[in-house]
Amino acid sequence: MFSYTFHWNQALKALPQMLDGALITLQVALLSMVIGLALALALTACRLSGNRVLGGIAATWVEIARNTPALFQIYMAHFGLGNFGIHLSPYTALLVGIAFNNAGYLAENFRGALKAIPDTQTRAGRSLGMTPVQAFRYIVLPQMLRVAFLPATNQMVWAILMTSLGVTVGMNSDLAGVTQELNARSFRTFEFFALAAVIYYVIAKAVTLAARALASRLFRY
Amino acid sequence: MKTSVLAFGLVAATALTSPAHADKLDDIIGSGTLRCAVVLDFPPMGSRDENNNPIGFDVDYCNDLAKALGVTAEIVETPFPERIPALMSGRVDVGVASTSDTLERAKTVGMTMPYFAFEMAVTSNDKSGIKSFEDMKGKVVGATAGTFEAIALENQVKAWGAGEFRPYQTQADVFLALSQGQIDATVSTSTVAQANVKTGKFPGISVVGKAPFDTDYVALFTNREEYGLINYLNLFINQQVRTGRYTELYEKWVGGEVPELTVNGVYR
Repeated sequence: MFSYTFHWNQALKALPQMLDGALITLQVALLSMVIGLALALALTACRLSGNRVLGGIAATWVEIARNTPALFQIYMAHFGLGNFGIHLSPYTALLVGIAFNNAGYLAENFRGALKAIPDTQTRAGRSLGMTPVQAFRYIVLPQMLRVAFLPATNQMVWAILMTSLGVTVGMNSDLAGVTQELNARSFRTFEFFALAAVIYYVIAKAVTLAARALASRLFRY
Repeated sequence: MKTSVLAFGLVAATALTSPAHADKLDDIIGSGTLRCAVVLDFPPMGSRDENNNPIGFDVDYCNDLAKALGVTAEIVETPFPERIPALMSGRVDVGVASTSDTLERAKTVGMTMPYFAFEMAVTSNDKSGIKSFEDMKGKVVGATAGTFEAIALENQVKAWGAGEFRPYQTQADVFLALSQGQIDATVSTSTVAQANVKTGKFPGISVVGKAPFDTDYVALFTNREEYGLINYLNLFINQQVRTGRYTELYEKWVGGEVPELTVNGVYR
């Protein structure tokens, strides 16, 4: 039983507002990805360093980021830190939460990608007279990025979808926040949520396609 | 002879199989259960006791309604934003969920006459220095997403042109954020404000004054086209007041001066 009359014209009137929200969503996702990539590289370096303290920190980070819900991570960034007097705005808390999550998953991607490249290649490079850094830079890294690229795209899509969790920490400018607000005012739940779903789909699909096009250019050989 | 048997059979069949057009009121009576959408993180209207059983004004109100209908009440917990999806997908029959009867919302669902009325109060963090509604200008304020006061407060922040508004998903989150100092002040119903300050779970906050918003009349709601049920609900609300049950429940859960449910100078 579903008794509801759809009024799309009411929802479409709010489309510009929702598209503004979508821009914020994309902005948060992109920023979280940039920060996440940088952190993931640092975490990977820590793990490779052989230093037990650094390795331990990196391992703990990856464990928590991958094995707890993103909702929890974002909530902790806002209310958890707030308990200790550190006040992050909803925007920052959301960004920190997702970047934390991204870093954990991307570090695992990098680790997997590194494993996929046989040791013998480094050794071959070294026997050609390359320094360890040169061997890493010219032989391992390009291949590693190639292997890690598409999984990283997945993470980007995931980051876009995770931004919708910002509503739990009071975010009202992103797509999910704007949708909630419109819904609360008019109770036209189904139109607004359907519209939001379509917008999320389009953004995610566009990112996937763009990444695929980019990959075919970057990794042609 | 044969025709009359046939005719009798037909009449009997129609009478037994399907009543011509059962409306929602019939469905409720027929099923023997009244399913109410109630918000359970909104004390004293709805919350849970230490055994996790639903309690509160709205819970008692639903039970009274079920008793009047001669059926059993089933409390379905719905956070504020989920009230309407719950109704539209047929998970609940009636919303007893402190729902403000705005004209915008009445385009979507059917509202009864008011069954309760809220005054709005400002609660602030003691460190913020906010002592009145006007002091909130330029500060970070918050409220529960999807409520009357959230909409009013957000409009006010926009009108002031300074400060920031943050909607949180639950009333508990608002008071947590307020207590931590993430937000400087909130506007909530005065009943909720007092109930939350009293719990002692949120240190460092106090109710500092009234918010000059209109009285927030809240209504029961159901599907817009269910006139039979809406008609019954209106009579039920009237009877609750008439029999003194409304006052009784108000004293039990809230206390103080019982709010008027009528508006002077106009019919409903």
